[in-house]
Order: sequence, then C-alpha cells, then structure tokens
Amino acid sequence: MPISTPSTRRFFLVAASLFTVALAACNSNQSIDAGAQQGVPATPSKIASDKLVGRWGVAAYHQDSARQRTEAEARRQCSNPYTIKAGQNGGVIMHLADQSEPQELFLKGSASGSTYLGPAGMAAVAADREIVAISDNSFTIKWVSPDNSSRYGTMVYIRCS
Amino acid sequence: MKIIKLQTLCLAAAAAWLAWSPAAKADPADASDAQVDMQIDDQPGYQPSAEEEQLAGPFERQIVFFRTTEAPGTIVVHTADRYLYLVQPNNRAIRYGIGVGRDGFQWAGIRKIIQKQEWPDWRPPPEMIQRQPYLPRFMAGGPGNPMGARALYIGGTVYRIHGTNQPQTIGHAVSSGCFRLVNADVTDLYDRVPVGTKIVVKQAADL
Repeated sequence: MPISTPSTRRFFLVAASLFTVALAACNSNQSIDAGAQQGVPATPSKIASDKLVGRWGVAAYHQDSARQRTEAEARRQCSNPYTIKAGQNGGVIMHLADQSEPQELFLKGSASGSTYLGPAGMAAVAADREIVAISDNSFTIKWVSPDNSSRYGTMVYIRCS
Repeated sequence: MKIIKLQTLCLAAAAAWLAWSPAAKADPADASDAQVDMQIDDQPGYQPSAEEEQLAGPFERQIVFFRTTEAPGTIVVHTADRYLYLVQPNNRAIRYGIGVGRDGFQWAGIRKIIQKQEWPDWRPPPEMIQRQPYLPRFMAGGPGNPMGARALYIGGTVYRIHGTNQPQTIGHAVSSGCFRLVNADVTDLYDRVPVGTKIVVKQAADL
C-alpha cells in the first residue's frame, strides 16, 4: 500500500496548518515585535536615497533631555564617521542591527506617512529603522524593534564635511 | 475547563515541535562557553532587574575588618581579590565587589579622584566599533548605559570607577582597566567620596 496518497498528503497539510495555528495561539500574547515583524505595505518613499549617502558622525540617546548634547557629540564624531554608500538598486549600503556586514537597504514609505529604512519588502518590520527627522545635514532614526530601540536608542547622524 | 484543555494542547504541540525541531538538536555548549570566560561585550541599553543588581556573598557591600596605614576616607583597590575598600576609622572599611581590568589591562598606583559625574556618557571602545560599525560613537548617559549611574574619574589615567548595567560581571576581570560596581554601590561610594580623595590601586593585599 503506498504511503503517500493524495488523501494522506491532504491530511498532513491540514494537520500542519492546524498545528501552526495552535502554536500561534500559544504565543499570541508574548511577542512584542509581532506587529513590527508583520509590517505594513510599503509605498514609494518621499525621501530620496541619495540624501543618506555620505559620511556621518553618529551618536545616540535614550532620553529626550539628552538630545541637544547628543547632536553636538555626533558632530564631534566625524573623526570616526559612519559611511553610507549608494547601492546598485537604488538603495543605500548600511548595516542592519547586529549584522557585521553591510547590505543594500531601502527607504520605504507607508500609508501613515512615516518613512522606514530596511530590507526590501514590507515597511515597519522589526529590522527597520524609522526616519523620524531629516534635513540636508542630519537625520534621526528610531529602531522599530523595541529590543533594538532599547539597546541603541535614538540615533542622530550629522553630516561630516 | 476548555481553557485548560487548550493550554494543554498548546504545550503538547509545542513540546512535539521542539522535539522535532532541528534547533532542539543544536549543541548548547557555545552559548555557555561565552559566560565561562566572561568574554562578553558591553550591552548598551540593557537594564538589569533589581534581583540581578542585588549582589550576594562576598561581593555584597559590607563593613569589614581592614588593617591599613591609609587614612580614613582613602579608597584602596585590591585588583586580584576584586574588592574596593573605602577606609573607615578603627581598622574598618566598607568593602565593595568590583569588576576589574582583564589580563593586560590591569594597573597599580597612587592617584586622586579628580572629577565626579552622575549618569556618565559612554563611548564604545574602538574594537567594538570595528566589530559593530553601526554603533553610535557616543551614547548619552542614562539607565541602560554601560557606564552605569555614577563615575569617579581617576586623575593622571584614562580610568574610572563607574557603575555598570552588567551586574554579572562583578567579581570578574572584564574591563579595559576601569573598576566597575553595581549601580547601587557606585552611587553609595559616590555619595561618600569627595573630589580629591586618594586612591591606592594594588594588585593584591600586602602581607
């Protein structure tokens, strides 16, 4: 008797689906990043990628009261800048959090008007940063993932001449 | 009753999944090895719980018998023992458990405290920036900052006595030459010690 009949395969498919749903139910109140992982459909970004290309002094803070001081410190960090290059596909070459190698990341718009920076695909996923402020000479990001945000804070990039 | 049954089903399903999962078969040794040598990086943003910050045993802050020729108010560090003493009258001292410099980063000498700072800022060391180029080069002080709640700057050196957000490193040789205390202890020391305080750093106690 053959083991893999169409009805057997259907049974396993249904069983696997139910199993996945059951597991999701088990974890439904635990995953703080669940919403961020899912993300929202990306729309074209209103910010051009080339606005991020260049050499930047980088500093971070966790409390708003430290923002001004952090901006001044970011300016002082141009002796050890972080360099952002243009990618081959219209993105920018940057690191994701906790990744030692840079990769091409993309600016992604969203229906809410927020702009995210991260891997191609959905916007506001856990790997993304949100661009919360930008001008010709600086930009500020917040990490979407609460874990990354807790560790790295709000990061200020000041353009080095 | 139905809820209990559903939870049981979930647990059973999860157990079956874990038993089947390739991840369950992974060798856990590499995770624990990192802890043995305390070769752990700073953890910017990590905020330890009150339980984690509560030291027990010899590294808990305590008054001890301490015979010395140093005047009361002097800080004496015994690097090898991982203790910092604040000398008190009548052959007593307040003893704090500390983390010290790792091999090659330990030092000795007689200095003074030249500056004090609440919630000091943190600058990741160059080797950390090299490994994690995306890190900010400066992180403003505050809870979760690797420099902890207070810092006392040791004159004529690049070293400090400071707090930490990694209480598990107390009693170990982990730093680049600074002395780290849990935040409650560094705050206690900070409040007791004025600028100008003499600090004697020794490798071990005199016999």
